[in-house]
Amino acid sequence: MQTLSHPAPLKLSLSIDSTVMNISEPEQTIESAVASPDAEQPTAKEPAVVRATDVEGVDVVTETTDQRRARFERDAMVYVDQLYSAAMRMARNPSDAEDLVQEAYTKAFSAFHQYKPGTNLKAWLYRILTNTYINLYRKRQREPLQSNSDSVEDWQLARAESHTSRGLRSAEADALDHLPDSDVKNALQAIPEEFRLAVYFADVEGFAYKEISEIMNTPIGTVMSRLHRGRKLLRDMLADYAVDRGYVKDATQMTETEK
Amino acid sequence: MGDCQSLGDCDDERVGRIYEYLDGALSLDDLAEIKAHLDGCEDCAHQYDLECVIRTVVKRSCKEAAPETLKAAILARLHESKPAAV
Repeated sequence: MQTLSHPAPLKLSLSIDSTVMNISEPEQTIESAVASPDAEQPTAKEPAVVRATDVEGVDVVTETTDQRRARFERDAMVYVDQLYSAAMRMARNPSDAEDLVQEAYTKAFSAFHQYKPGTNLKAWLYRILTNTYINLYRKRQREPLQSNSDSVEDWQLARAESHTSRGLRSAEADALDHLPDSDVKNALQAIPEEFRLAVYFADVEGFAYKEISEIMNTPIGTVMSRLHRGRKLLRDMLADYAVDRGYVKDATQMTETEK
Repeated sequence: MGDCQSLGDCDDERVGRIYEYLDGALSLDDLAEIKAHLDGCEDCAHQYDLECVIRTVVKRSCKEAAPETLKAAILARLHESKPAAV
């Protein structure tokens, strides 16, 4: 519904230096960005806002709705493919993934005044996406995201533990490399959700442990253990697919199922 | 074979160090130590190679473009709503 009239065209020219939001630079984490007042601005009454203005030339207090919308379109929409890929790891089918991304963007825009310009927008969006997923979709299932680590069967873990030292050899690395995308995606889907998401955030998106801990709202130690277990489970699954495809003759070539 | 004890007391710990190495989560000293170890230890180097392959394969497989209809729908809803007042 239209709550304000916006006669102006939406392509506003804010003339902001595009290098300011260069995402390839080491990015500030959500927490540190929110927490640190700017000591070099002694006269500032609102350090965070002044700092934000300094960083990007944006004053989130005085900007108009149109300006904020344009800023959101310019800065946040570039992540839509990545967020959709992540949503596909969560929702498991394209229709739900689309709903999830749509809802996450709606929430993100309505909260965009809380985002500090110059901080890690990508991690901020991923956190909203993850929260949206938990709120929208996990409610339908009994267990919350953070408490189903125990759903990994004992045999799975025992298996994962047992072939870390002499498991796959370089010939098998080639076999893994030839797996079709569908197998790899199925393998990912097959590992428990919180492990899968941790692995996805780290290995596909390249988030640091601390960023993942903020996105998933869990301690760093939990992130590391999820990554550790998730990666080993993933390796098992991929090895199974390679065997099924006949890339290796039998499972003992790929994995050591017993010590 | 290199001295695997330098990476950890058990396989589990060692592979964990390799993960941390690949994740860029180690101090410079630890980094140098692991790099040196991987150069000399065939077994750990295999683990390292495999993990690299898996990351490459996962990255390659999970690149999905959002449908154009989704992008259009997001923009359409964006223009219907207004962000909360500051």
